[in-house]
Amino acid sequence: MRSIDHWFEQSARSLARRTSRRSLLAALGKVLTGAALIPLLPMDRSYRVQAAEPTTGKAATPAKTAGRKAADDPMNCNYWKYCAVDGFLCSCCGGSSNSCPPGTTPSPITWIGTCHNPTDNRDYIVSYNDCCGKVSCGNCECNRNEREKPMYRPSRNNDLNWCMANADSNYHCSVSVILGVSEK
Amino acid sequence: MKPPLLGATLLTLTMSAGSLAAPPLPAEHLTVESLPPNNAHRIFVLDDGFLNEIDARVHLFDGDTYRRLGQIDAGFNPGFNLSPDGKTSVVATTYFSRGSRGTRTDVVEFTNNTTLSIAQEIVLPSKRAMTLPTYFNVAYSADSRFLYVSYVTPAASFGVLDPAKYSVLSEIDTAGCVLVIPSGPTRVSSLCESGRLLTVTLDTQGQEASREMSDAFFDPDKDPVFVQGVPTTDGFAFLSFLGEVHEVDFSGVRPAFREPWSLVSAAEKGDLWRPGGQQIGAIHRHSGKLFVPMHRGGEGSHKNAGTEIWVFDMKSHQRVARWSMSMHKLAPVLAVQVSQDDAPILFAATDRSDVAVFDALTGHLRHVERQLGQTPWFMLNP
Repeated sequence: MRSIDHWFEQSARSLARRTSRRSLLAALGKVLTGAALIPLLPMDRSYRVQAAEPTTGKAATPAKTAGRKAADDPMNCNYWKYCAVDGFLCSCCGGSSNSCPPGTTPSPITWIGTCHNPTDNRDYIVSYNDCCGKVSCGNCECNRNEREKPMYRPSRNNDLNWCMANADSNYHCSVSVILGVSEK
Repeated sequence: MKPPLLGATLLTLTMSAGSLAAPPLPAEHLTVESLPPNNAHRIFVLDDGFLNEIDARVHLFDGDTYRRLGQIDAGFNPGFNLSPDGKTSVVATTYFSRGSRGTRTDVVEFTNNTTLSIAQEIVLPSKRAMTLPTYFNVAYSADSRFLYVSYVTPAASFGVLDPAKYSVLSEIDTAGCVLVIPSGPTRVSSLCESGRLLTVTLDTQGQEASREMSDAFFDPDKDPVFVQGVPTTDGFAFLSFLGEVHEVDFSGVRPAFREPWSLVSAAEKGDLWRPGGQQIGAIHRHSGKLFVPMHRGGEGSHKNAGTEIWVFDMKSHQRVARWSMSMHKLAPVLAVQVSQDDAPILFAATDRSDVAVFDALTGHLRHVERQLGQTPWFMLNP
């Protein structure tokens, strides 16, 4: 039953995120510090920088771009928000780190992780959604798994196709959407 | 002795005459190959086709002749397994009515392994677990009476199928526990997020007769196990992220857990040596040798491929060999499988999509098959 609770919790978070920021904050009350911090969140505008190293191997390590530059680059697997992405970066597929490419559909269910932003030294709760309805993008494969857990803990698992509940459950790419700051 | 010019002239004339006299090549008849007789070194390599994931396939490869023998198509994000007698391949997969989009159809396809033709199929409810391939996405009961398919919608359950009558018999809710680990003719265990195993016993009609939850056999917070089990003589071994080996005996009425043991010494643990990849172990059951791709890495490195393959004795729990991949200019290893004959070979799929063929007794590298598919993540042999 604990697992079912996880699913309801996730669905609630996802629904909240899709309805309004206020309702999201209400749902996440204990783990977010509040609306005052929202303006501090970084925006992804640097789409022109170096793309992540294209790979064909599933377990390819993150691109070996110089650490800080890579951590700030949403088209690089080492971008700080991608700390547990296993898939293709939507940033390299016509979307961004928090938007799906044109013509695809975000997954309504997802899983939640925590990534550290070295720029402001904060931990952020992020939602790893998949973008669905087209065949896999095939560009900028990224395989990072910090705090990722196996499938028996689905709320922390990135092996599942999170497009599974979409009308079109084909997997295209993955995003990492900031939900808020994680309390220490 | 003839003058050189005369000799050359005679040779040219002789060759020309021969060419003129040779009959033309006969007309050819287009045929379809039959598979050569089975051998212990044949292996099925599941390529998820991750770069264009609606087009997965299973390559049948011969570890003696190093030839590809044929292919089984596998759709989108498939599960794959073999029947207990090795004569049938089962692919549990998904198709979309218009290729990459449209109506979703989940299906189990049965392929005759002597012809590589699809013999039958069972259409499933659209609930199939779409995840990485393991032994436990789709699996037969020991007597082949039932076929089990893992469902995640995300609610977890499994389907019980009749592979003789090609029908769906039932769906069993698993209360959040995932995958189908078959044992005996009627038992199915699933991994739970509490570190326990849920075991459902079926009646002869494939309906639930009883269920039982085990004690926790690992700590999912401190040291989770990979969901990819490694077949042992009486069950499966589950390796943990930090290198603990949890052997589970599935031969009895309920799963029995042996005392865990470690792949790594304290010093090696300190140096962050860990198992990792997709198919993170293989056991040659007669000799009791366990092969594990190992790498050095910290938190989050559990999917990193192995820079070395370590070989262990399952009885003494001692490491007996350590094979470097870089020594052979091989990329790190994501998946391993070993043949079960007396002259075993180890197959090692790298994260650059090559499959290396080793003598499993000596570690001698016999062959590297370059680019055996796009993303070879799971290998099975009869």
